[in-house]
Amino acid sequence: MATRVVMSKLSPTMEEGRVLHWLKKEGDPVESGDVLLEVETDKANMEIEAMGSGILRNILVPEDATVPTGTLLGVIASEDEDISAILAEAEAHAAPSEEAAESQKAAGAEAVPAPQPTSPLQTASPAAAAQEQAEPVEEPAAQAPDARRVKASPLARRMAQERGIELRLVGGSGPGGRIIKRDIEAAATGGAPAFKAVSTELGPEPPYERVELSQLRKAIARNLAQSLGPVPHFFLTTEIDMGRVSELRSELNESLEETGLKIGINEILVKIAAQALLEHPSVNVAFAEDHIRRFTRVDIGIAVAIDDGLITPVLRDAAAKGLRQISTESRELIARARAKKLAPEEYQGATFTISNLGMYDIDEFTAVINPPAATILAVGAIREKPVVVNGAIEIRSRMRVTLSCDHRAVDGAMGAEFLATLRRMLENPLHLVL
Amino acid sequence: MTAERICKLLRLPGLTDYGEALVLQRRLAQARASGQLTDDLLILLEHPRVITLGRGARTANVRTPTELLASLGVQLHEVERGGDVTYHGPGQLVGYPIIDLGRHKKDLHWYLRRLEEVLVEALKSFRITSGRVPGYTGVWVEDRKIASIGVHVSRWVTSHGFALNVSTDLADFDLIIPCGIEAVKMTSVQRETGRTQSIVEAAEAVARSFAEVFDLALEPAELASIR
Repeated sequence: MATRVVMSKLSPTMEEGRVLHWLKKEGDPVESGDVLLEVETDKANMEIEAMGSGILRNILVPEDATVPTGTLLGVIASEDEDISAILAEAEAHAAPSEEAAESQKAAGAEAVPAPQPTSPLQTASPAAAAQEQAEPVEEPAAQAPDARRVKASPLARRMAQERGIELRLVGGSGPGGRIIKRDIEAAATGGAPAFKAVSTELGPEPPYERVELSQLRKAIARNLAQSLGPVPHFFLTTEIDMGRVSELRSELNESLEETGLKIGINEILVKIAAQALLEHPSVNVAFAEDHIRRFTRVDIGIAVAIDDGLITPVLRDAAAKGLRQISTESRELIARARAKKLAPEEYQGATFTISNLGMYDIDEFTAVINPPAATILAVGAIREKPVVVNGAIEIRSRMRVTLSCDHRAVDGAMGAEFLATLRRMLENPLHLVL
Repeated sequence: MTAERICKLLRLPGLTDYGEALVLQRRLAQARASGQLTDDLLILLEHPRVITLGRGARTANVRTPTELLASLGVQLHEVERGGDVTYHGPGQLVGYPIIDLGRHKKDLHWYLRRLEEVLVEALKSFRITSGRVPGYTGVWVEDRKIASIGVHVSRWVTSHGFALNVSTDLADFDLIIPCGIEAVKMTSVQRETGRTQSIVEAAEAVARSFAEVFDLALEPAELASIR
């Protein structure tokens, strides 16, 4: 079996590393545990050991080159093993990340190179708007499974058909990201900027924008960290009227009956929380020692109890997805979480987490933040209870939620404003249709 | 709070030859990785005048020709740690922690930031306010660099470490472009406080804050007992 040698993530904050020195040459026999190469991050270097035995068949990244973590650096395999598939995969990944890096530079923003699927919702935030200008407009595969909807000139369309090239997989360089003749020619010769390959496989690290810490923010972070553990938590609780959401849910499920699909309260929460986070980017953040990461994508973690603990599968780019897709995807993720079949990138890197203990009849609770995220929402059971409405007592369906915030990055008012939006959206659930 | 884990403190007297210290570190790091050494270790020492070239080094950052360096009695060494060009010499407190990050945190950036914290805390006992400059590992007093950091990690065991200028002859830094940063100004504890400072006091402060930051109990050791 071939063994991949990759640029390991030697720190959660490590985004790229430099290959300092290969200790083995192509063709050298390698034993598991042998030091293959040294990589450098910041002012530290680390020896990388072989995880398998065989021949070091290929060195894909030369000394002195800096590459993102996860990049394939080399392949160890037996002498006659076919490794062309691994090499092809490496090539397919190399091109788009360079492209993304360049367009990020053009935007003048220091951000991790990651794709930015555009969506009408994202234009609500200025950061997303900037991204949109900087990057070629492309329709994410998720929203445009039909090739007819990909923007392409008639000539390009015909050429693609003749040559058996899938338009979805071609990057457009024409106006507004339209695919034109030269893109098809490039694709045919293998030089296509195949960024589609990336946008369908959203990486574990969500893209973000770097916000430098002000002196005040530094002082807040320092002081609060001293008062309560390494992550200074505070908690905000509110009660939300769930009557209209429950009604809407019943109606939705009636209309979906034939499809066999069922929408749960959790999925509605995921959708609405994602939308509320778009309106409050200052809550969709992580504190990273010397700066704050303001994520430009909403990746929602869903806490799932499993036999021997809990795990939080992550629903990527939840704000750009519809309820139906959220429902299908989250059910699939949760099923695999229970079967313990999630890959690490499927449960790491949530920008926001939802933990619901309503099914255990818990009224309200506080959840502990899972670093590096800065927030987590604890959701209690929906209960019928008497509420004063316009001076009269009425029986209403109510649900209590508690937001835990990392005070180094999120202040009380920011958290409260986010919760107010969440409540407004849940109590007026027409947002779901958007 | 009492720390359960022990860190042996090895304070080498006088000036230790750079090459000798390198061999010692390498051997101790291997022993730590193989489990022969069960405790973490902090070596504190001073070097004679030497310029070291890290793996990232560009010789262009050494301003002085090799022959001239030799005649000045300054050695030149290539080493396996990260970072560019560094100068060591009398009056500079050098710390080489040989610790198993597997028992702390397997996170290189975390380790670099903790080393910076060790020095920032130690400098407080001299009433010097220092800090980090994002993107430039090391410890800075405003825009002046007071300590350099460069580490090597193998099987999550660290070697190399930090160099804090206590009473270093800062003119010697003119021989190099420190860290390859063209306009960097170097400083020392002595320069910042305007008073003569003893390296012994600095070593005590650094050892104390090292133990605190890494939550270890220091136990003075002799070289013979570790060999």
